[in-house]
Amino acid sequence: MRDRSDRAFVRRRRLAAFALSLVGVFVVLSVRLYDLQIVNGAHYRALAEQNRVVRVPVPADRGVVYDRTGMLLARNEPGFAVTIIPVDLPRGREDELASRLAVLVERSIDEILAAIAEQRARNPYEPVKVSHRPLARETALLLVERAELYPGVRVTAEAIRAYAEGPLYAPILGYVGPITEEEYGERQGQGYLLQDLVGKTGLEWQYERYLRGTLGWREIERDASLHELRTLALVPPVPGNDLVLTIDHRLQDLLIAELDQGVREDRFTQAVGIAMNPQNGEILAMVSTPAYDNNAFVKGVSAAQMSEWNSDDRHPLVNKAIGEIYPPGSTFKMVTGLSALSTGAATRNTVVNVTSNVLVVDGYRFYDWRVHGSLDFMNGFAHSSDIYFYTLGGGNPYSGQRGAGPEAIAKYGKMLGFGAPTGIDIPGEAAGIMPDPLWKLAAFDEPWTLGNTYHESIGQGFVAVTPLQLLNAYASVANGGTVYQPHLLKEVRGPDGDTVVVNEPEVARKLEMRDEDLRLIREAARRVVTIGHAYMPNAKLPIAGKTGTAEFGQSEGFDSAGRHKLGFHNWFVSFVPKQDNADPTAEIAMLIFTFDSSRSLCDACFNPAVAMTQRILEAYLVPDDKKATSP
Amino acid sequence: MSVRPIAALAPSPLHARTALRLLDIDWILLSATLLLICYGLVMGYSITLEDRGFTGDVGQQVLRGVLYAVIGLSAMAVVAFVDHSWLGTLAPLFFLATIGLLALVLVVGSSTLGATRWVSIAGFKFQPSEFAKVFMVIVLAKWFADRDVRSPFTLAGGLALLGVPVALVFKQPDLGTSIVFLGMFFGLAFLAGARLWQLTALAAAGVAALPVLWGHMQPYQQARLTAFIDPYSDPQGAGWNIIQSLIAVGSGQLLGKGLTAGTQSPLGYLPIAESDFVFSGLAEDLGFVGAMILFALYLVLLLSAVRVASRSRDAFGTYLAGGVAAMLAFQIVVNVGMAISLMPVTGIPLPFISQGGSSLISICFALGALQSISMRREAKAVE
Repeated sequence: MRDRSDRAFVRRRRLAAFALSLVGVFVVLSVRLYDLQIVNGAHYRALAEQNRVVRVPVPADRGVVYDRTGMLLARNEPGFAVTIIPVDLPRGREDELASRLAVLVERSIDEILAAIAEQRARNPYEPVKVSHRPLARETALLLVERAELYPGVRVTAEAIRAYAEGPLYAPILGYVGPITEEEYGERQGQGYLLQDLVGKTGLEWQYERYLRGTLGWREIERDASLHELRTLALVPPVPGNDLVLTIDHRLQDLLIAELDQGVREDRFTQAVGIAMNPQNGEILAMVSTPAYDNNAFVKGVSAAQMSEWNSDDRHPLVNKAIGEIYPPGSTFKMVTGLSALSTGAATRNTVVNVTSNVLVVDGYRFYDWRVHGSLDFMNGFAHSSDIYFYTLGGGNPYSGQRGAGPEAIAKYGKMLGFGAPTGIDIPGEAAGIMPDPLWKLAAFDEPWTLGNTYHESIGQGFVAVTPLQLLNAYASVANGGTVYQPHLLKEVRGPDGDTVVVNEPEVARKLEMRDEDLRLIREAARRVVTIGHAYMPNAKLPIAGKTGTAEFGQSEGFDSAGRHKLGFHNWFVSFVPKQDNADPTAEIAMLIFTFDSSRSLCDACFNPAVAMTQRILEAYLVPDDKKATSP
Repeated sequence: MSVRPIAALAPSPLHARTALRLLDIDWILLSATLLLICYGLVMGYSITLEDRGFTGDVGQQVLRGVLYAVIGLSAMAVVAFVDHSWLGTLAPLFFLATIGLLALVLVVGSSTLGATRWVSIAGFKFQPSEFAKVFMVIVLAKWFADRDVRSPFTLAGGLALLGVPVALVFKQPDLGTSIVFLGMFFGLAFLAGARLWQLTALAAAGVAALPVLWGHMQPYQQARLTAFIDPYSDPQGAGWNIIQSLIAVGSGQLLGKGLTAGTQSPLGYLPIAESDFVFSGLAEDLGFVGAMILFALYLVLLLSAVRVASRSRDAFGTYLAGGVAAMLAFQIVVNVGMAISLMPVTGIPLPFISQGGSSLISICFALGALQSISMRREAKAVE
C-alpha cells in the first residue's frame, strides 16, 4: 500500500460517507415508491381509471332571419356532424380510420389526416370537425353503432343552415361556411373554434355578431373504454339573436317573377330590382338575377359548380344591385338638372330650342333622339331631351346659354350619393365613378373637354353608378331632400322574441338644394309618365319616374346563358307620392335595371322596365278589391 | 560512461502504457452508462407513442434519441483519451464558456412555459444550462484542487465563482438547475475536505436567506412550492401536476401497465411527459420493478464514480469525479423526488431518461472525463 499521506486529497471517510448517503437517498426514494406503488397502488390505479374527463363544445343555435312580415328566410334544420377527439385516437389507427371516414364524409383521406394532425398540435383534447357537409341520419347511426371501428369519433347534432328560395335571397343573405384558418386567426379571443361555421358574406357576414350566439361547454366523464358515462358540468350555449329585415317577401316575389320572365323571354339577360322607403332608407326588396343558390354553399360547393359560377359572364356571385357599376343614362339628367337649378344656370323657365337632332360643337356632333322643338325644364326632362341637358350641363354656344359645368355636376352628384358607397349593411358595395376634371387628369392625364361634360350630362361617358346609388338619389329627391343610408336590418330579436336592437334610420346628409328645385324634379318626373314618355296605360297609381337607356359594351354575340348580347341597358327609377301631386310624400321608390335589353328607338317605347314597374307597384300597392272594380 | 539503450530498440513505453490504460477504463461505469442510455431510448419510444398530442414521426423521434446517444458516446470517447489534467488547465476557459452560454440564453433564448432555457443553433435546440453544470464541476474541482480547501477563503471563492452562473440560471428562471448547482457545490466541497463547521454555517446562511429568495421567485414558482406542501389546496391549479404524477406512479403498481400502455400521459394528465415528468411515465409503464432497475443502475453508476474518485492520481481528478457524482445524484433526487412528491416541482431533466440531447451529451462528456481519470490512475497499489 502507498502511504496515505501521499494522496492526502483522497479523504476516504468523506468518500465513504458520500457513498453511504447515496445509498441512503435511493433507499428513501425506494421506500416512497414502495408505499405509492405497492401499498397504495390499487387506490391510484382506480384514480387513473377515473381520469377520463373530456370537455366538448356545445354549439349555439345560430339566429334565424325573418322578412318584415315574419316569413323565415334563413333557418336551421337538424343535421349531424362528425368530429374526432385526437387523444382518443391511437396514432396507429389514424390511417385506417381516415380511409373509413373518407367515404362517409365525402372528403379525401389526406384532408382528414391533415385535420387530425392540426388538431393534435393545437389541442388534442378538443374535437375537430371532419365532416364538411351535414350527414344523413343513416350514416350517423352507422358511425354510432360500429363505434369500435371509429376510435375517437363523435357524432353530434349540428344545425344545417337552410335558406328560403336560394337565389332570390342569396345576394342579400349570403351564406355560412367553415371558418378558415385566417378568419380564425383574426378572431382570436372571441370564442371561435376551428370547427365553427361563420357568415361568409351578405347579412350572414354583416351581422355575425348578432346571429352567432355563445358557445357552451360540456364536461363528460368517460370510462376506460371511452364510453360516455355522464355530464359532469354543462355551460349551456346561448342561442344567437334573430334578424328581422326591412325586406317584404311579397314585393320580392313580384320583382323576381317579372325579372325572371323577362330573362326567359330574352327581353334582357340580367336584371336588378330594388325598392326602398324614401322616408327612412328601408330596403323593401332587392333582387339581382341571375344569382347563385346559397344553400349549395352550406352543403359544399363542388369545384365544377364553383368554376361555372366564376366563369359565367353574368356574374351570378355578385349582388348587382350594389356590386357592379353601370352608366346611368338619362336617369342622370336629374343630377344635371339639379346642378343647373342650384347653380342658377337654369330655372324652370329656361327654354332651349331643339331645332335639330344634332348639336355641333367644335366639329364634334352631339345627338338628340329627335327634334323636340322648344322645351322648358319640365318638358326637357319629361321628353328626356339630350340637347336640353347638354345645354344645362355644358352650355350652348349657339344660344349663348351657360351650363352648370363639370365641377358643379360633380359636387351635386356627390351630394346625391354618387361616387361613394351608400353604406348599406351588406358587404361588397362598389363606389361608382363621379368624375370631375381633376379626376380625369389623375386617371387619364388628359384635360376635361366640353364633350366630356355633354356626355356626363346625359349619364354617359365616365360616370358610372350602382343601381342602389341611383335609387337612393331619387329617393332623396322624393322625400324632399334627405339622403338616408339604406339598410336591410329592421331589428334584432332575442331568442325569446324580445326586440333587442332597433335599427334606426340613419341620415347620411341633407341635400343643399332649394325645395322648389326638388319639387320641380318631382313634378317633371311625374310628367314623364303623364305625357306617356314612360307609357303606363290604365295607371292606378300616381307613379313618377325617369327612364334611362345606356349604351355600352358589344351588341353582338351571346352571353354564358346563350342569350343575345345587345349592349343596351334600360333603367326606370320611380317613386309613388301619396296623392297625385309633387309633395315629398312617397313611401316607396323603386328601380328596375335590365341588362342587354332590346334596343329602343325612342328611349321609352321598348323600355321593359317601365311596364314591369307599373305591374309590380300596382300589384303591391293597390288592394285586390280596388283592382277588381277598376276597368 | 554508461550508454543508455537506444529508445527505438526498446518496446515503446508509450504504447505499453496506452494499452494498459485502455484496460483501465472503468468497465462497470461504462456498462452502467450504456444500459442507462438504452433504458432512456426505450422510454423515449414509449412516451412518444403514448403522447397522442405528438404530431411528428415516431421513428424519427427515436432515431433522434439514437443520434444523441452516438454523439454523446463519441464525446465520451474523445474526452476519455485526453489526459484529464487538460480539463483542469482549461478550467478558466470552461468558466468563461459557462458565463457566455448562459448569457446567450438570456439574450437570444427561446421560451417554453414562461422560462427561457433554449438556444437554437443551426436548427438544433440546445440547453446551455446542461453544459454549464458539467463545466462548473470542472471549474470548482480545479479551484479546490489548487488551494487549501480548509481555508474559508477557498470556500468563499468557490462560492463566488458559482454565484455568477447560479444567478444567470435563476434569472431564466430555472430554480431546479440552481438547486443542482448548489448541491453539487456542497458535495464537492465536502469531498474536498472543507471544514464541516464552515459548510454547516453556509447551509444555515442559505436557509436564513430563503425568505429573500422567496421574494425573488416567479409567482408560478411560489405556487409550486405551496402546492408541494399541500397539493390538494389547489387540485385543478398548481397541485394538478403533483396529483396526476402521483396517480401515474401509483397506478403503475408492481409491474406497470406495460411499455406504451400508460394512460396518464396520453390523456394529457402528465405535463412535459418526455422530460420533467418522465419518471412518472416510467413508473406507470414499468412499475415498481422498472423503477428499482433504474435505481440500481443509477447506484452502480454513482458508486463507480466514487470509486474513480478514490483511485485518482491527483486531487483534481478526485474532486472532478466526486463533483460529477454529486451533480448527477442531485438531479436524480430532485427529479424523482418531484414525481413522487418528495420535492417541489422544478423543471430539471432526469439523467439518461429525459429526452433531450443537451442533457445526455453533457453527461456523457462528464463520464468521459471520469474514464480519463480512471485510465490515468496511479498504478495499482500492489505494484
